[in-house]
Amino acid sequence: MTDRVGRVLGTQRSSTREFQVLIDDDAYLQLDDLVVVPIEVPGFGEVDTYGIVTEAEAEYEGASFATDTRRIAEEGTLPAETVRTAEVAITRVDPEVWVSPNPGVSVSRATGDARDKALYADDMRRPLPVGVGRDGEPVFVDLDFFDGRKGGHMSISGISGVATKTSFALFFLRLLTGRPEIVGEGANNLRVLVFNVKGEDLLWLDKPNALFDESDRAVWDALGVEPGPFPSVGFWAPARQGGGGVVTPDASGRMTDINPFRWTPREFVDEGLLRFLFTDASDTRNQLSFVEERVRSQLRRWAADIAGEPGAVVLRQPGPGGHREAVSNVAADELIIRDFSDLVSVLERLLDPGDGSDPDLAWTGRVQSGTVAAFVRRLYAAQTRLGHLIAAGESIRIDRQRAQVSVVAIQNLHDLAQRFVVGALLQEVFDEKEESGQRLPLSVVVLDELNKYAPREGSSPLKEMLIDIAQRGRSLGVLLVGAQQSASRVAQEVMENAAIRVAGRLDAAEAERSEYGWMLPSTRARARLLKPGTMVVSQPAIPVPLVVNFPFPPWATRAEEVDHTDDPDPFDVV
Amino acid sequence: MPESSPRVHVEGWDPSYGSPVAPDEGLAPSESEVDTTVETAAWAPIPGEDDGIDEVWFVDGIRRVDARLTIDDGEGMPISGICGSHAVGAVRWDRVGRSSSVEHARIDRLAVSGGGHAIEIVAPPMTYRAASVAGIDPAELVTLFHGSMRTAEARLTAGLADSGAFVIADGPVNDTRPRDVVGYIKTHRVAYLTGPEAGTIRALTPGTRTPLFLLGASGSFARYSWYQRLAVGPEGHGWYGIVRAEVAAAVGLEQARLLADRSAVLLPGVAAPAHTDARAPQNLVPIGALERALRRELGDQALVLRSLRSASVALGAVA
Repeated sequence: MTDRVGRVLGTQRSSTREFQVLIDDDAYLQLDDLVVVPIEVPGFGEVDTYGIVTEAEAEYEGASFATDTRRIAEEGTLPAETVRTAEVAITRVDPEVWVSPNPGVSVSRATGDARDKALYADDMRRPLPVGVGRDGEPVFVDLDFFDGRKGGHMSISGISGVATKTSFALFFLRLLTGRPEIVGEGANNLRVLVFNVKGEDLLWLDKPNALFDESDRAVWDALGVEPGPFPSVGFWAPARQGGGGVVTPDASGRMTDINPFRWTPREFVDEGLLRFLFTDASDTRNQLSFVEERVRSQLRRWAADIAGEPGAVVLRQPGPGGHREAVSNVAADELIIRDFSDLVSVLERLLDPGDGSDPDLAWTGRVQSGTVAAFVRRLYAAQTRLGHLIAAGESIRIDRQRAQVSVVAIQNLHDLAQRFVVGALLQEVFDEKEESGQRLPLSVVVLDELNKYAPREGSSPLKEMLIDIAQRGRSLGVLLVGAQQSASRVAQEVMENAAIRVAGRLDAAEAERSEYGWMLPSTRARARLLKPGTMVVSQPAIPVPLVVNFPFPPWATRAEEVDHTDDPDPFDVV
Repeated sequence: MPESSPRVHVEGWDPSYGSPVAPDEGLAPSESEVDTTVETAAWAPIPGEDDGIDEVWFVDGIRRVDARLTIDDGEGMPISGICGSHAVGAVRWDRVGRSSSVEHARIDRLAVSGGGHAIEIVAPPMTYRAASVAGIDPAELVTLFHGSMRTAEARLTAGLADSGAFVIADGPVNDTRPRDVVGYIKTHRVAYLTGPEAGTIRALTPGTRTPLFLLGASGSFARYSWYQRLAVGPEGHGWYGIVRAEVAAAVGLEQARLLADRSAVLLPGVAAPAHTDARAPQNLVPIGALERALRRELGDQALVLRSLRSASVALGAVA
């Protein structure tokens, strides 16, 4: 079960948090190795202390001056002994008698059952592998802390490019969707919404990776998932600007098996999407949000369907019961909204007539005329950036039921439009779950660059929404996998509610921030050096963060990686 | 090299160790016979020669008085005793493998009682074996204790030399048998050389030595001796870094020359740099390390004293 690697060092105090090991001459301990120390506690009996190596050190015992090194190693005139020690952070004491290890006691490598105990794997009801340790064996997270039973959400931090945040998020999703026997009832109808906010990394999840090596297979085998592309993925992209009569997706790289989406004016009004046009953090400081709120509710009251024109609305003063039926008698001077530019001009006529007449107070409220003008200017700005996402006609929405994973490609949109789409879709997911009031089926949302959507400073409807998801999503089964370059720039409420925290390589200054207080000092130091494919994972069930490696993806992450060997030959006409 | 007015030098050794040049009576002329013509009559520094010996052994011992005893026999005045521990060991310098290791370390603990008493003191895990002096002078106790250490050193030195080793032993040679043992003397209490021969000492550079001179030729304990310089100090005085070495005359003149040549070259290489040792450069690096290792073997002094106290309570003695 165990093999001896050394003894508890006697020249330094051991505590209930950490101790040092004097390593045997014929053994070694490296970072992240797991060890176990049996302690005989007088009056109690045997207690096993488990720990993880956080630092390994070596020095000459007997050398007191720097130049002694030369005398020992080069000239050989000074007798000395090489001493190798390892620092161990205690992860567990079993049974729970919190005593420190006695000096001189034998320390063994924890393998098999002892390894499971060191990592609390024996204690987890639903251990889901999230990578492998340095020993090549799986490292687990307790799913109870992700799917909302005891905790929810995952937060991934790290420098762009080398931290492989998105890769880890997808790797996690692959295990989440690939191990239904562990996920349990939550696996049924589990739906994942992934936003592709930059590059095209996520547009090839359904394609095998040509660079995938058979040597990577062993790791996947250890994790219990057959390496292959995601089996069930739907790809969605916003409708292309000026597509004419045909609605085509705007997704640059990917041409096939990708569907467009947009909203009709009716949907825009009903779902109150106007608020996601005002997601700049500065918008709430002035009175724009006040105007927006009023306009939003007025639109909802005034909008009436037009017979024979699906999705379009006409604004009419409602009767006491509101609009019940579609209108068919549209007059030439009535305010018809068929697309976003219609909406803008209609609102301008109501809010800022321009012909000297007073605006309708029911629409503006008593705000300064400058505020109204600013509001209209915002609408014009939005028109050029996301106007094409709103058009009458049949409803073309994202159908999240079509596949287990829905990838939404918004990388080609302007920031403002990206925030609009993210806000609209998150609201859709959240409203749906709020209505049902059920935690199951689970809905997972993957969102990179979280700092753009829920920045620490200021407030915006999108930020409020994300905070709401972070705080209440857990019980509603809406689980956020958020990624960001610096946790310190994301809303605190969002970070605090993530039960599972993950970090790839961190900027040196960033790693020192209190947002990474869950790391040990040694882990922080290492976080600056982590290689792609290596992450630090913290979860409530284990008191120390674990360093895990995750394998190369078997799905393509770039167009060039797509393996075409199994594609049908276009010349092979049957 | 006469000088018009004396120059003052601050000695490099820690003052608590005394001075390397510590004449009892103005560097008293030696009382034993000195024959400065055994190797050559033409006195000038002679360059040493490294004959490429594979291994060099350094032997040294340390001692510590762990506790003072008072033995009260119920009559007359109480009598003194001491509990002392000494450790003796060797450093093997493997010149081929370029490594050094502490070997053959051995501890001995003695309870020396005055007035003819012999009391063994057991303070687990230590046992102080009984030793006795007839008198009641406390100095006698220490002399016996010190002698015990010197005997252990001599035994280890002889054992190593007999197995073919070349040994550098700390202190004068106490062995008349022809063995390859060089006694290494750090401090100068007696002026063996006078006149022009003494001037040769000032002319020494590291790697050279004085010609051999024979000490005590007519006595039972004749040995060949030489001076050599270990290091040149910054602004050192004429005797800076000078040590004296000796071998038993029984080895013969030829062998004595070989050992002297070898030592003249090897010892400067293991001299302690000024900042690393309180007795630099005379305290050789291997010997300094050996002393530290041996001192560790003796155990923590406070802990030793504490167990001796508990042991003496058990014995009914008064510590």
